[in-house]
Amino acid sequence: MAVFHPLLAQYVPTESDPFDDVKAAHLLNRAGFGGTPDEVARVQKLGPKQAVEWLLDFPDAPAEEELGNNVSPDLSSIAGSPSDFRQYYRQLRDKTPQEKKQLQQQFQQANRQALEATTAWWLNRMAFGQYPLQEKLTFFWHGHFTTSAKDERAALLMWKQNELLRENSAGNFETFVRAISRDPAMLDYLNNNENRKAHPNENYARELMELFTLGIGNYTEDDIKQAARAFTGWGHDGTDFVYRVNQHDDGIKTFFNRSGNFDGDDIITLILQNPACPKFISGELFKYLAYDDIDPSLSEALGQLLYTNRYELRPLLRTVLTSRAFYSPQALGVQIKSPVQLVVGTIRMLGLQMPPAQALASALNQMGQLPLMPPNVRGWPGGRMWINTSTLFIRYNTGVWLAGGEVPALTRLNRKGDAAGALPDSLARPSGFDPNTDGDAEAVVDGWLNRLIQRPVGSDKKDVLVNVLADGVNTDSVRKVVQLIVSMPEYQLC
Amino acid sequence: MEKVVSTRRVFLQKGLTLLAVAPTIPTFLDQTVMALNNPLDSKLTQQTSGKDGKILVVVQLSGGNDGLSTVIPYGDDVYYQQRNAISHPADKVLKIDGYLGLHPNLTSLKSMYDSGDLAIVQGVGYPNPNRSHFRSMDIWQSAQPEIQQPSTGWIGRYFDNTCPGCDPHVGVAIGETLPLAMQGEKVLPLSFERPDSYRYTGRDKTDYVKLNQAQLPPTITTPREITAGDQLDFLHRTAMDAQLSSEEILRLTRSHSSPQPYPANEFGNGLKTIAAMIAGGLPTRVYYVALSGFDTHAQQLNRHDALMKQLSDGLGAFWSDLKQQKNNDRVMLMTFSEFGRRVQSNASGGTDHGAAAPMFVMGSGIQQGIVSRHPSLNDLDQGDLKYVVDFRSVYASILQNWLNTPSKPILGDQYPVLPLVKSA
Repeated sequence: MAVFHPLLAQYVPTESDPFDDVKAAHLLNRAGFGGTPDEVARVQKLGPKQAVEWLLDFPDAPAEEELGNNVSPDLSSIAGSPSDFRQYYRQLRDKTPQEKKQLQQQFQQANRQALEATTAWWLNRMAFGQYPLQEKLTFFWHGHFTTSAKDERAALLMWKQNELLRENSAGNFETFVRAISRDPAMLDYLNNNENRKAHPNENYARELMELFTLGIGNYTEDDIKQAARAFTGWGHDGTDFVYRVNQHDDGIKTFFNRSGNFDGDDIITLILQNPACPKFISGELFKYLAYDDIDPSLSEALGQLLYTNRYELRPLLRTVLTSRAFYSPQALGVQIKSPVQLVVGTIRMLGLQMPPAQALASALNQMGQLPLMPPNVRGWPGGRMWINTSTLFIRYNTGVWLAGGEVPALTRLNRKGDAAGALPDSLARPSGFDPNTDGDAEAVVDGWLNRLIQRPVGSDKKDVLVNVLADGVNTDSVRKVVQLIVSMPEYQLC
Repeated sequence: MEKVVSTRRVFLQKGLTLLAVAPTIPTFLDQTVMALNNPLDSKLTQQTSGKDGKILVVVQLSGGNDGLSTVIPYGDDVYYQQRNAISHPADKVLKIDGYLGLHPNLTSLKSMYDSGDLAIVQGVGYPNPNRSHFRSMDIWQSAQPEIQQPSTGWIGRYFDNTCPGCDPHVGVAIGETLPLAMQGEKVLPLSFERPDSYRYTGRDKTDYVKLNQAQLPPTITTPREITAGDQLDFLHRTAMDAQLSSEEILRLTRSHSSPQPYPANEFGNGLKTIAAMIAGGLPTRVYYVALSGFDTHAQQLNRHDALMKQLSDGLGAFWSDLKQQKNNDRVMLMTFSEFGRRVQSNASGGTDHGAAAPMFVMGSGIQQGIVSRHPSLNDLDQGDLKYVVDFRSVYASILQNWLNTPSKPILGDQYPVLPLVKSA
């Protein structure tokens, strides 16, 4: 394959720039949610190229088509609910509109619990699923093709959308845009379900261009109005996409200086022909995986790469994840962990069981990132926006809690305005707290820093930690060290 | 007053202690130490806001508040023609004059208007309005429409210009993220969602403090470390700010009691926290709080009514709190939203993104009344109201006549000053 830019050339380890444990951990952090020492060692052994092949080796399919446990949210503990969404969907599907409405209203009572179950299921997949990159990308697309469960959006639709994101996460972007434009949760969230010939609703048309495909500045206000007309009549019936022909405006629209009786698919075709689109999408993916500050020539090259591959995402992902740019100083250790990265990573790296779902959701909510509940259609802002005096405490306190410490004061109001329930005061104890009796204090500290921060830490800080073990290396003092490490600025980065 | 002084002393002592051990210390401490060592400088910094300085409270209405359903031109037939199913009948509107009235749920604001404590600036916007939530919000918060991705806000630049050495208490935002409006280059204001979760809960506080102090001389200087170093520096500074401010804020909010209950929602809680901090005499000059949910594309009527009630109940409780504290004449509160909504309602019983909209300005030091004329409902720009007042004029008026600082260095240009503040 042609090399589009020197920074996208393949990173080849050398003696002076080896594929060491720092780089292996970097790959696992960015293409997943962090790795245990064993996983880091395995990836290091595979080498940068084979490791990416291993990460990319997942089916373009929803979780439901996998074998085994945890392939769909468990609704069985919800009173009066079907045991899973598939069953619920089947129940609904063939009903008359009236029956459907009635069944949905019944289930609406349990909607919040079903959403919580879906969030818990997804976090579990991120932490323990067999395809870390697929979940990492699914999470990217969730923040990209944003849909929020706010406004009591049906959990069934949120789950269906989540599966759609997973199925297309590394597939073809064109297929993806066409599918998401027909996704019931999306049609609901951006009001296209109410976009009718007589009164077009512009919400979807605007965000499709501004946030989903082109980026701001690549279309006019009039393009939005025209595109909105083309999407009239695209709606859903509570479970599936429907095209309401009598609500569709089949007049002539002028979009991007072309005229015709366009429908939504024609608009998508025209958008995808715009060179701003591949540039925008590849740039967003690059920022998510590598670093923020892309110069124009790199952005151009990434766009070309996606475009010449006819919007296939895997070639782009493979190139980025094996590139020099990905392993450059600009990329290593500079990313501020998103709350989900922080929490899921901590669970993975400490070898924890999944903490109680409600407590976890409450912590994530306060850090500003509860899955399925992005704040607005732009998704989560990221980067330094994750950090302020408030969220830093919550991040530290959650880390301390996960590492077996005090339960943080997480008494934020929930969506309905009630105080969130009290948290359980004990968690499953992290494994591996038993000190390595062979090691002296310094070796114990080194071991934990290596496991959790995964790159060099200043000697002054190491001294502080070693000092904590001055009165003896035992379970309690080691736990103290672990709680301190997760309360370090260095632990906020990956 | 004693409390405030002692807070500053703590800051100063910690700063000096740090100076002794670390070559790099958080910017604000560095500058505080310098400012206090130089009496001339410290006068310029206006730090003694404790019990005497002026205070600004900014209320952001997120999502694009429908101005026409907030300050209602009930005397205009066009309003009823265009708004059809979502209009408010004239007999329900809280009338201000023969043309204008407030939304039926804005009862507290109506009584503030009647008692001389509320001004309404009509038709506020800017040239070539942008109808994206995010872009328009960036424009309002940065007051720099010419910059595509602004990195500082108008309040942040106010801090940078007037008190680059101030401690982070100078600005407090209630919420998970620090709004762009408050971001500057020299001061990082505080933000938190709730005071009771604003503390470190780990057991080993002493070592936590050591590990979060500014970087000691870096022992590793590979290029990679230097790059990640910028991020680390930022994290260290924020960690210091958090740690030093948490105790004070917890103490103040726990001891405060208000005369009138605040509504039990996030907005009410935020205002209550702000009132507690004002009562406690924190040296804060600008507070920031948001009420969200205004993106009413569908079924607007009930949703917007509920939001108006939240706004009115929250501000009503806040106002009676301030009056009891006798701080009502040193606090000015302003509301804004990223845009108003289209004049004609849509088929979903909602409204799409629009342009110009009114702002409320509240306080005993403000000049009561209606500022500027209502935009025409007939002479529209792509279906939207044309602005009458540039929002930067409102900012300029507040900066110059309330916060007593030249507005041009902050806004980049001199905008006409409106009669918003009572002349002394």
